[in-house]
Amino acid sequence: MAVMQRLPWGLLALAAAGLLPFVGSRFYLYLGTDIAIMALFAVSLNLLLGYTGLVSFGQAAYFGIGAYACALLMMQASVPFILSLLAGGLLAGAAALLFGYFCIRLTQIYFAMLTLAFAQIVWAAAFKWNSLTGGDTGLTGVPFPAFLDSPARFYYFTLGVVGISLAFLRRVVGSPFGRMLMTIRENPERAEFIGVHVRWYELAAFVLAGFFSGVAGGLFGIFNHSVFPDFSYWTKSAEVLIMTILGGMYTFFGPAVGAGILLFLNMLVTSYTEYWPLVLGVILAALLFLFPGGVLGFLEAHLLRRGHREPRGT
Amino acid sequence: MLLPDLSFLVIQFLSGLTTAMFLFLIASGLSLIFGVLRVLNFAHGSLYMLGAYLAYGLVAWFATAPGKFWVAVLGASIGVALIGGIVERTLLRRLYGREAVYQLLFTYALVLIISDVAKLLWGTGQLSVSRPPILGGSVSLFDQVFPRYNIFVIILGPAIALLFWFVLHRTRAGRIIRAAALDREMLGVLGVHVDRLYTAVFMIGAWLAGLGGALVTPVVTIVPGMDVEVIVNAFIVVVIGGLGSFWGALLGALALGQVMSFGILILPRFSLVFVYVLMAVVLVMRPWGLLGKPLRG
Amino acid sequence: MRGIRVFGVMGPLTFLVIGSLCAPSLAQQKPIRVGFPIILSGGGALFGQPALTGAQMLVKEVNDKGGVLGRTLELVTRDSKGTPEEATRVARELVLKEGADFLVGGLTSAEGIAISAVAKEQKVIYIAAIPKTTTMTEPGKLHPYVFRAAANSFTEGRSGAVFMAKLPVTKIYTIGPDYEYGQVVTKAFMEWLKKLKPEAQIVGQGWPKLGEQDYTPFITTALAAKPEAVFSTLWGGHFVTFAKQAKPYGFFEKVKLVTAGEGGSPETAMALKDDLPLGIISNSYDVFYSHPVPAHRDYVERLKKFTNQEFANSWASTGYIAMQFLVEAIRKAGSTDTEKVIKALEGLTIDSPIGKQTMRAKDHQATRGQFWGTTAKVPEYPFPIMSPVQYIPADDLMD
Repeated sequence: MAVMQRLPWGLLALAAAGLLPFVGSRFYLYLGTDIAIMALFAVSLNLLLGYTGLVSFGQAAYFGIGAYACALLMMQASVPFILSLLAGGLLAGAAALLFGYFCIRLTQIYFAMLTLAFAQIVWAAAFKWNSLTGGDTGLTGVPFPAFLDSPARFYYFTLGVVGISLAFLRRVVGSPFGRMLMTIRENPERAEFIGVHVRWYELAAFVLAGFFSGVAGGLFGIFNHSVFPDFSYWTKSAEVLIMTILGGMYTFFGPAVGAGILLFLNMLVTSYTEYWPLVLGVILAALLFLFPGGVLGFLEAHLLRRGHREPRGT
Repeated sequence: MLLPDLSFLVIQFLSGLTTAMFLFLIASGLSLIFGVLRVLNFAHGSLYMLGAYLAYGLVAWFATAPGKFWVAVLGASIGVALIGGIVERTLLRRLYGREAVYQLLFTYALVLIISDVAKLLWGTGQLSVSRPPILGGSVSLFDQVFPRYNIFVIILGPAIALLFWFVLHRTRAGRIIRAAALDREMLGVLGVHVDRLYTAVFMIGAWLAGLGGALVTPVVTIVPGMDVEVIVNAFIVVVIGGLGSFWGALLGALALGQVMSFGILILPRFSLVFVYVLMAVVLVMRPWGLLGKPLRG
Repeated sequence: MRGIRVFGVMGPLTFLVIGSLCAPSLAQQKPIRVGFPIILSGGGALFGQPALTGAQMLVKEVNDKGGVLGRTLELVTRDSKGTPEEATRVARELVLKEGADFLVGGLTSAEGIAISAVAKEQKVIYIAAIPKTTTMTEPGKLHPYVFRAAANSFTEGRSGAVFMAKLPVTKIYTIGPDYEYGQVVTKAFMEWLKKLKPEAQIVGQGWPKLGEQDYTPFITTALAAKPEAVFSTLWGGHFVTFAKQAKPYGFFEKVKLVTAGEGGSPETAMALKDDLPLGIISNSYDVFYSHPVPAHRDYVERLKKFTNQEFANSWASTGYIAMQFLVEAIRKAGSTDTEKVIKALEGLTIDSPIGKQTMRAKDHQATRGQFWGTTAKVPEYPFPIMSPVQYIPADDLMD
């Protein structure tokens, strides 16, 4: 058991993921790319949800902004891909700073509702602003950048970006800053009492989450060759929340695992039945009642007997 | 555009009022449930859709019976209330006291499940219910015509609001509900059966949603997806009026109805963005809405 | 309405049955697999289900007659769920995991674009069955692998203008859902009308949002502009909702309505029954009660038998004709090789159930027209039909 605890799971997973192209199926490369992007999106959301205790019901806003910004910069301003991707993240982060400034002043359900409202504004703007965003038919013909013009290359690139981002986020949550976020989650009043500027911390987390959601969105737009308003619709925000809860919001890698499980299940179930919403609904309900800690939370608690679940009630 | 004449403005105002009353029926239940249970019910639109489908089913069942529409409205709304009660008693209550996100996602799971169950039972076709014969035509108002059914809805909305005012303010049950909205811990101490109260409130909320869904059938198409269309508008209404406030839902619905009705005259193509901006502005300026109170406990 | 309900359960079932029945007889050769992504859940399933059924019927008919090039056809379906990203996902899955040789289907414009992008990426032919957006086939966006069997937004708007121009009216109001389809059809309508009838003027425009539940304010605003006629692009259930709300305002007595968006389809009529306004000019993909070519009569009978419905569904023709283009192209090419089938598709003319259709080489767009007519009550059916009604080919309406 002690060995299991000390294994660097993140690195192992990354190494295993690196072998995927050798399996030989291009389809699984696409699925893998899809999962990696969604994993980054879910982990970035979890910085708010699991670590800071803020229920963002509008994370798709930053995903969409990142996707549009990255694609537009590449297509209309011929900015190199890497820079566009970074700029997409930064713009999403900037939007998160603006929206977050208002959101973090609210608590609980009001916070969730305001994040939802902002995300719907982004969606509606994308839907209506035909000259910039192409309206409901979106931006089409977003190309794979020349140097990534094969599924395997794009997969490795995505893996690299996601790996670096997750490593960075891992450092963040392990840092004093991350510890402080968890203190805020457990007891904001106490944090305030010991002299912490709670809102400042929450806003910083919001911006960070926005940035990485934006990077994920940028990747997703390229991966799909197109960007649509749907990327910011509230059902997308719900989907990434489900991934996070499914994997486990009190573990760092839980949301990534959740993204993998959800996309894989989706592929599996939809090949048998069109009643995927029913299946997903039942799975989700069962999960909430039976495995509230999510899949990874359950594994950690029962198999690894690690039992530390990022400290609660400190 | 030219300054519109007065009779047109009156008709436009009445249009907005009709919109508002349908919004009120669904938003009031949503708000009531949030006020007492502190659960934001994403599935409220699904209950509304169920009300519509059940009403259609009952109208078809009583194919030739006179007054079938009214029986269907009554039956459908009660049916939805019962379904709501069962869901609350068997499932939802296990999630009280857990993180808000669990409750939120559970109601979202209900959205997914109900949408597919409705599809299994009623298929994916466009279904429609005709207006009851007595409310079929229209009446002349200020040189304009106005549909009878809309007049009925405009009258019914305030009637229901009045009924609730009576229940909330003049009965013991109502006082308990209002007390629960203010301070939940107190109730247990006072010896109120909190779980029964929660079930009752959820059922009333569901009944209102089912009633709204059943009453809207003569003026819309019943199709899969109507659940999602309506829930976002209901959210906007309760946020504007104040989450948890019954009267806020009424005020929010009236405001949104008129914004939609006159908004298209001023900014014809921006209603899509505008309603969300309105929602965000209210949340930023006054998160507890126009008539709500800041949350405690 | 019982007929339509059957789709929900029967769709996937029939698919399984066909797959298992046909496989053994022609097992010596690998079947030709056709991926069919289409909306089967949520709001769009209403149109997706019958389109799929149409495709399934064609597959059965082809296989019963010995298949194509001695190989059976096999349809592999996936629910695209109405979101473009899911359409991308399932289109890739169909090609790479299910080994689909071709893609046919798609419903919304955004989905069509998403599937088209996958077709280009995977170098697989995609024939769009329903998406009407001109964005997909316009210069700069068109690529060798995408074809459209559906009518596009231009021809639909222009057909509307042809009918509007014939009416003795000049003051016209337009109302349509505020998104690409509504905007493009309305624009095409206005431009074509200007050519046909320069004295016509647009006295106002209403733009309800897509999925609007309450058209009342738009109805009263439209009436206040005092138009003589209204051109609408509200489609499917949106039109049904609009019609129900407009009727008590005396809307249809005060103005003449010309509506695109399949307002005249039998499904709309069956949903609205006596609430469907009479005397409006509208269109439909297909109507079971009018036969532009003799073969149509037989098609309608076969479809009724296949779906076990009392009245043949009009949306089935979208899937049927798209599949027919593919099958005929494979026959003509004598191969399933993508490049050869592309060559065969370009300029291919088929005898569809509604008459001859040509896939134009220059823009990969079929000369697909629609049925247009005036709604009327007839004793034969318990719901209004379009009478008179005629098939308007798109040939003269396309650039």
